[in-house]
Amino acid sequence: MMVLAGVVTLWSLASPTAVAQEPAAPTTRTTWGGCPAEPVAFHRCALGKAKTFKPPRTPDGRPDMQGYWRDRLTNGFAVEGVTKDDPHSRNAVQAATVGPGMIVDPPDRKIPYQPWAAAIGRNGENLKKYIDPHGRCGLHAPPRNVEVSPIYQLLQPAGEPYLVWLLEEIHEYRVIPTDGRPHIGKDIKLWGGDAVGRWEGDTLVVDVTNLNGYTWLDDAGNFYTDAAHMVERWTMIDPDTIHYLITIEDPKAYTRPWTMSWALERIKEPGLEILEEACWEGDRDKQQWLDLGYRNYFGESWRSR
Amino acid sequence: MRNGLIGSIIAVATCSVAPIPAAGQVFSPPRTPDGKPNLQGIWQVLNTAAWDIQDHHAQLGVPAGQGVVEGNEIPYQPAALAKKRENFVNRLRADPETKGYLPGVPRIMYMPFPFQIVQTPNYVTILYEYAHAVRIIYTNGSKHPAGHIDWWLGDSRGRWEGDTLVVDVIRFNDESWFDRTGNFHSDALHLAERYTLTDPDHINYEVTIEDPKVFTRPWKMSMPLYRRKEPNVRLLEYEAGFLREEEEQRGK
Repeated sequence: MMVLAGVVTLWSLASPTAVAQEPAAPTTRTTWGGCPAEPVAFHRCALGKAKTFKPPRTPDGRPDMQGYWRDRLTNGFAVEGVTKDDPHSRNAVQAATVGPGMIVDPPDRKIPYQPWAAAIGRNGENLKKYIDPHGRCGLHAPPRNVEVSPIYQLLQPAGEPYLVWLLEEIHEYRVIPTDGRPHIGKDIKLWGGDAVGRWEGDTLVVDVTNLNGYTWLDDAGNFYTDAAHMVERWTMIDPDTIHYLITIEDPKAYTRPWTMSWALERIKEPGLEILEEACWEGDRDKQQWLDLGYRNYFGESWRSR
Repeated sequence: MRNGLIGSIIAVATCSVAPIPAAGQVFSPPRTPDGKPNLQGIWQVLNTAAWDIQDHHAQLGVPAGQGVVEGNEIPYQPAALAKKRENFVNRLRADPETKGYLPGVPRIMYMPFPFQIVQTPNYVTILYEYAHAVRIIYTNGSKHPAGHIDWWLGDSRGRWEGDTLVVDVIRFNDESWFDRTGNFHSDALHLAERYTLTDPDHINYEVTIEDPKVFTRPWKMSMPLYRRKEPNVRLLEYEAGFLREEEEQRGK
């Protein structure tokens, strides 16, 4: 049977590997784009701002959101947030920030897990048994690939029916076609899923299916299965702020869809470039985790049901 | 008159066909709004260079191939040639590609997987299905960062010479190979790539390799890149390291 390292060091093993450039220092800012940082208030305010903001436009007439961005999560450890009673907030190596999570619906700000799934996700079985796939340099799916990169870069090639997000984190990319193509066949399951996008006014709506369920939602081990379906909405609310919204449904794991929101802030550092982060090539910790009894995830905690 | 009618029917027919250039005629490519040849799309090589960049007959699982090295000769310095032979003997465990590591440049260009070229005025970005690799080629006139830097895929700065994208790549580690047979380089590797659309569905890809620590002179590879034409084609995923680990763990 496995030997547990103990809760105190657990999260430090699962924390992100070194990134090519440092993430933004913790901020004292309390508003983004003129909206409060707290997610429920941010989301409501952002919807209002979007009604009047006139974004710069590409030659195709779409909002020009190109450039470098960083995510502004209210909690980087758990999408449900962390209270001061949570032992992770006292982790000696890397304490989880105490603060609200990014869930805006349901009103109790908790993932609407089915009963079997709550014990696995919410600070439960996943964290005790498995190595965070992010800590092993695994490809991410939304929402985590809008949570973990110190730099995001958006490209909107003129005259082409797609956008591309580049992440510095593990040199990940997301191609978002906007040509009305169908999803790929349902038997192809991908770490990052399959994205198809469309514009609804000035909001980019991205539909994500074909997920393999091999990644987590956050550092705390919250999860979804290969039945998940996600819809993202990206809207500029001022020249330097994007309102990000994601609704996730998963009939195998949740009782209803749920929604998160946060801001992306433009990075205006002159001469900024994404640098190479060869995460897999630099991984030196894998054997230690395996020797301690942790397993690679590969969706085992829900696939075995 | 009769000839005139046939002539006009032929004229109408040829107007609707894609402009394949006649011999000696230079192809005029479709262009992006900023006037550059539009290289965008999903591309892939049709060769076995990832296994062996020189002429080779078949092995089990690997087709025969005519090499992509001009002159079929790689000008190793004597000590480097000995190293190449040692690599060859140990190749099944020594090739860094077997660990799922980034294959370096130019091998990432001729791995048997599709890649997508995305083009804006300041960035020509290549997204690879293999290991979700990314190369950002800066076409904004910026310079390489100060060295030395140990990157797997180097630092790429490009410019247009007429209708050819010319890319200078430097700042490499010494950990990747050019192919499975053990052809290798040092951290002094310096590449000059040329990408030229020869017709709507083919790019001629050439790369000159210079490495004063390993080779006695520069040498060159070239190959066509073929456009993937399937409707709704898109990049999928190939996460080599995880695929291996998943199989190993399933057994336990």
